[in-house]
Amino acid sequence: MDRQNVVTALENALTDVLERSVTGLTGDVKLFDDLHLDSTTMLEMLMNLEDSIGLVVDPEDLDADDFLSVDTFTDFVLSAQLREVAA
Amino acid sequence: MTRTAQLLHELLDHAAERTPHSVALSSQGSSLTYAELADASAHMAARLHQEGLRRGDRMVVTASDGIGITLLVYAASRLGAVFSVLHEQVRGAPLEHVVKDCEPELLVSDDPEVAHTAVRHELTFLRIEELVRSALDARSGTAPLLEDVGPLAVDPVSLIYTSGTTALPKAVVSTHQQVLFAATAIQTCLQYRADDVVYCPLPLSFDYGLYQVFLAALSGARLHLGTVVEAGPPLLRSLETAGATVLPGVPSVADRLAWLLRRNAGKLSKLRLLTNTGAALSDSTMSALREALPQLRVQVMYGLTECKRAAIMPPDGDLTHPGSCGIPLPGTEVFVIGDDGERLPPGEIGQFVVRGANVMAGYWRRPELTAERFPRAEGLFPELRTGDYGWQDKEGYLYFSGRRDDLYKERGFRLSATEVEAAATRVDGVTSAAVLPPEGKRAALLAVVADITADEVLDGMQEHIEPFKIPRRCVRLDALPVNGNGKVDRKELAALIGKATAASSSTGAL
Repeated sequence: MDRQNVVTALENALTDVLERSVTGLTGDVKLFDDLHLDSTTMLEMLMNLEDSIGLVVDPEDLDADDFLSVDTFTDFVLSAQLREVAA
Repeated sequence: MTRTAQLLHELLDHAAERTPHSVALSSQGSSLTYAELADASAHMAARLHQEGLRRGDRMVVTASDGIGITLLVYAASRLGAVFSVLHEQVRGAPLEHVVKDCEPELLVSDDPEVAHTAVRHELTFLRIEELVRSALDARSGTAPLLEDVGPLAVDPVSLIYTSGTTALPKAVVSTHQQVLFAATAIQTCLQYRADDVVYCPLPLSFDYGLYQVFLAALSGARLHLGTVVEAGPPLLRSLETAGATVLPGVPSVADRLAWLLRRNAGKLSKLRLLTNTGAALSDSTMSALREALPQLRVQVMYGLTECKRAAIMPPDGDLTHPGSCGIPLPGTEVFVIGDDGERLPPGEIGQFVVRGANVMAGYWRRPELTAERFPRAEGLFPELRTGDYGWQDKEGYLYFSGRRDDLYKERGFRLSATEVEAAATRVDGVTSAAVLPPEGKRAALLAVVADITADEVLDGMQEHIEPFKIPRRCVRLDALPVNGNGKVDRKELAALIGKATAASSSTGAL
């Protein structure tokens, strides 16, 4: 999975969670300040990515710094394990 | 022997005398001891006095910096001024409403945009960052003595804006005495210890968040303020790093923790107490937490801003009294009245009424509403008509069945949405549930987050409540929309379901 795939998956997840179309995300977009996610919607986004790209969430690895911007979150997903998901 | 504080800031001053070098507050790498906090708040008071804040004046704060808010709250108390802490997102029309309603002397925020509101209303606007920096920098110096302030214990100290039966939010006024009584009674039930680390995942604009500051001062515990990011997905790790022993929560926080613990039990061996307020915890969340954290005790609670807290469950009392929200605070009474105001015997559903020193002063500049909700028994003694319905058992345990607006009629029965939701969450596989009462032609509808099908949920509920109480339709969702206080946002939910229904009918599916 490359960076662009992750960003696309993230856009889809946010579109679902926030119930409005989220497209054209750039790396510097801030998840809280710009997209207005809160602690609940942030978790929903992770749940969504568990299902869509098989993101394996280990709560011990989740760091507040990973959730700052689209870039930091993409880095986190790229470093995380992914499991096979049924297409 | 511990002296009893008469004024809110004396809580802090006494803690600073007892344990000056203990950490009082920490957040994101910064921390303050009790002595430092007391000293900085005295400097903050001097500064606010310079800016024109006097006894009886109001100060409105809308910011996210918890340490700054704490300094401002204690500073206002020292001056005999009245603080109102609003959620950091209160802007535009809602902020205008508050400013017009309480006519503050000062408006404090971290957002320059708020300065425009201040200008329009000819108020002094102050940046919280600058205030905090100067209060902390001045710490080494001696705070100038303020003359002619000395508030009384019966003076107001806080305004808490709540929405409810009125179209626009109104402010609940609390005196020093009332806040101290409520905080002390809560501490008697929860027993925070000097070696506790209380992890607050809630903003201090939420009154249970703010009371953590007072509970920590009473016990000498350290209060760690989690940021909105830390209290999200990194919650488990953030609790671990902080060394948290106590987690004051709302259902969305407990649900989040249970979700994370299912993926990794972690090392939360220190977490000894979870409290819950706002709405009932689902049984599945409680059992998931207990399974993952055997040392954890749970205390569920019930209350409303008008008396801060009405009832608290003894530790793990939910196991022996399932469905109860606790027993009245020590030194207070909660009883149940019928439609004519008569007291009802145990077991009968009616309105909860609270008596005791936790009953707050009333609504700011709303004498009629105050008279209605805080009527005086025998024309003398104020008691609080909560607008909440439920019953009490023979031992005095309270069982909440719903807000007045949670009750609805369907097929001739008077039903409680809260009760139906509780039954749904008792079904294995259901994480959370919310009922939309009937509206127009639409029958009552149940929305759930569940691992099982909608039909299985409705079937499973037969075990827990009478069939006539079970809504005919059930919809599965990925998550229930919640508002800033962690309560289900029914308006948002109705919109969501409306959209889902429209989408499925346009594709021909049902």
